[in-house]
Amino acid sequence: MWQDWPIRTIRVENKGFPERLGLVTPEVKKLYYRGNWHKRDFKHALAVVGSRRMTSYGKGVVEKLIPPLARAGVTIVSGMMYGVDACAHLACLAAGGKTVAVLGSGLDVTDSEESGRLYSQILQSGGLVLSEYERDSQPALWTYPQRNRIVAGLSGAVLVIEGGEKSGTLITAKLGFKQKKPVMAVPGPITSSNSLGVNWLIKNGAVAVTSAEEVLAELGIKSHSRSEKELTSKVALDSLEVEGLGKRILAELNREPLEVDELARKLGMDVVSLGQKLSLMEIAGLVKEQDGKYTSK
Amino acid sequence: MLTKVHSLASRGLEAIEVEVEVNVAGRGFPGFNIVGLPNKAIEEAKERVRTALVNSGVEFPQKKITVNMAPADIPKEGSGYDLPIAVGILAATGDIPSFAEAPEGKPSAYFYGELGLDGKLRHTRGVFLLGMLAKDKGVNQVFVPKLSANEAAVVSGIKVYPVGDLLKLVRHLRQEKVIRPLKTMPTKEVISEAEVEFDFAEVAGQEQAKRALEIAAAGGHNVFMAGPPGAGKTMLARALPGILPELTEAEALEVTKIYSVTGNIEPGGGLIRRRPFRTPHHTTSRAGLVGGGSKPMPGEISLAHRGVLFLDEFAEYTRSTLEALRQPMEDGVVSVVRAAGTVKFPAKFMLVAAANPCPCGFLTHPKKECKCSLGQIKRYQKRLSGPILDRIDLHVNVPFVEIEKLRQRHTPGVKDVHTPGVESSEVIRERIKLARKAQVVRFSDEPGLFANAEMRNKQVKKYCRLNSEVENLLQQAAVSFNLSARSYFRLIKVARTIADLAGEKEIATSHMAEALQYRIREDS
Repeated sequence: MWQDWPIRTIRVENKGFPERLGLVTPEVKKLYYRGNWHKRDFKHALAVVGSRRMTSYGKGVVEKLIPPLARAGVTIVSGMMYGVDACAHLACLAAGGKTVAVLGSGLDVTDSEESGRLYSQILQSGGLVLSEYERDSQPALWTYPQRNRIVAGLSGAVLVIEGGEKSGTLITAKLGFKQKKPVMAVPGPITSSNSLGVNWLIKNGAVAVTSAEEVLAELGIKSHSRSEKELTSKVALDSLEVEGLGKRILAELNREPLEVDELARKLGMDVVSLGQKLSLMEIAGLVKEQDGKYTSK
Repeated sequence: MLTKVHSLASRGLEAIEVEVEVNVAGRGFPGFNIVGLPNKAIEEAKERVRTALVNSGVEFPQKKITVNMAPADIPKEGSGYDLPIAVGILAATGDIPSFAEAPEGKPSAYFYGELGLDGKLRHTRGVFLLGMLAKDKGVNQVFVPKLSANEAAVVSGIKVYPVGDLLKLVRHLRQEKVIRPLKTMPTKEVISEAEVEFDFAEVAGQEQAKRALEIAAAGGHNVFMAGPPGAGKTMLARALPGILPELTEAEALEVTKIYSVTGNIEPGGGLIRRRPFRTPHHTTSRAGLVGGGSKPMPGEISLAHRGVLFLDEFAEYTRSTLEALRQPMEDGVVSVVRAAGTVKFPAKFMLVAAANPCPCGFLTHPKKECKCSLGQIKRYQKRLSGPILDRIDLHVNVPFVEIEKLRQRHTPGVKDVHTPGVESSEVIRERIKLARKAQVVRFSDEPGLFANAEMRNKQVKKYCRLNSEVENLLQQAAVSFNLSARSYFRLIKVARTIADLAGEKEIATSHMAEALQYRIREDS
């Protein structure tokens, strides 16, 4: 449990304090943290921020981009809020990466059981949870934007995934501009209000990114994960002997997430045999079901 | 002079013989008293009986009349005692011959029914129960209102006399003009093809949901449907009765009993031949749903016995109401405990629950935007995912259907397979009949077990052997989908029903794979 980990303090004059963070205004003088502080973890740190009201599209983006980044050794820094933040932490943990959460409250305050669980998971994986507030201080509306300057400050670049107009996400992105860091944004559907912010960012100087490789390039890390990734998905396909039908299913799902009924109509088959196939493919991890729709993985 | 007339009292669904003693005394002040724990309706019988007799042309005796209903310690209620009291008075004053008790002290007839002021008999609830009681006790004749007589006529071996009004009864008893007893209605007569509101062929799209309902109907499984408003959840549920197998004779008798006691049989109606389909509103009280009241009466779940209980807007029911469903869902009976004793009502029903995916309903809607916050959605889903959902075998998503998409043809170049989803209810019902038959054969050694859904874990192990391939698949699924032990057994039961629908003796991997489509999604 996260409560069992001692709270430590690091000050601006300490050796381990990342230089980057020293440049942030208003100045960060000291930080409280749980977990093990290694300065090297911040070398390739990426701030991942996004909407609390994550859509299935946002989730898909996180699950597509974060794992290869984590495997390439990028530390994912975020705010542990539900939505994109929490999802990014989880995706990073699942891929065996390092992740750092910056809280808008004291280190002893969590807002839900779920974030408590995530808190413990982050610590167990060797990650960090930190805050500039006293251990029991409650969050307030203004503490979140303040926290955001640390999220941006700890990182070498900012990646924005989903965010509406006037969102906290935009605040962090603007802090990134102010701190002269590369700000990347994943384009969102223009029909979604939850993407207004990211699309605005792209029009105003953020780099549009659509793959993990582009993010790595922006961070200045050489990527060799591309071939590796292709390899694994190929192996999975072969071992399952996904013959004609499976391929056709994946082709449809690669285009857009679909309900079983609709997929059946598109493929011209009955729901019974399609359902059987989908169950098997889901067990094999080739497709995934979310809110009634299937997506390819 | 003292006479005795026999009738019935009911406690829950149990019938008790009641002896109505009427004494008309020549001495003392004229008066009319009823004793033997009568309720208000029976107290008022005095006025109805007096007026009905006078209007039937009989002189009401200006004497001291005392009515006692024995056993005196059971509370009696309802208006059915009008007739026995009137008959008792007539016999005591010598207007009709008093009935000699049959040998061995058995009563020769039962009388039951409510009187109108004009002497006519009204439709009275509980007549079916009276018929059953008469058969049990070996009482040969039953006099009941004409409008209710069909209920009793279902019971074989008794003579049911339909009585139109008091005067006709008097004539019959004086043997001036005989009332003919009704012929016993054969219960085996083919149960009428249920006329249904919707045919499955009329429901646009929703192939998977239709398939889920087919499986549910075949194995008696409970179903949960989630989807945005307007997706067709209610229509699907209403089409369900059209594919349910017919009631068996024994089942029809059980259902009729409940409907008779609660006064749910229409005047002139007899045996209930259609599977009940009950749709209580979500503001229904707990007692209204599961049964209760100071004098316990069956609730909606008992009225849905052997049929379907459809709970629309499932999330709107109060927690305590839903909790109250748990025990009856497990046991198939609901016990209502009162200080006076415990009453049990049967409640073997198929639960069909429907709910929106979030408070505003539009979470999965393709066009409209959901207005709920994540917290609201979480709270909503948490409320739903209580122990009740855990007891539902089939979970199905009912997406909003965009009409344009239905018209759209499938990808060109693909061979045209039969257009799915246009099967009529009749075709589906035939498949279900066969599946049900297979289950009856399977459970021939298990009394009281008719459907796959009713199997307990022990029976699942006994009747649903999985071969290693299927076992393997299920193990993998348990890991990938994080299945609980409970859903593990549910999946086997559902797979069993799917195999029955396919006419297969053994559960194959394809059956299990399909069953997995309808599993409960625990984390989302």
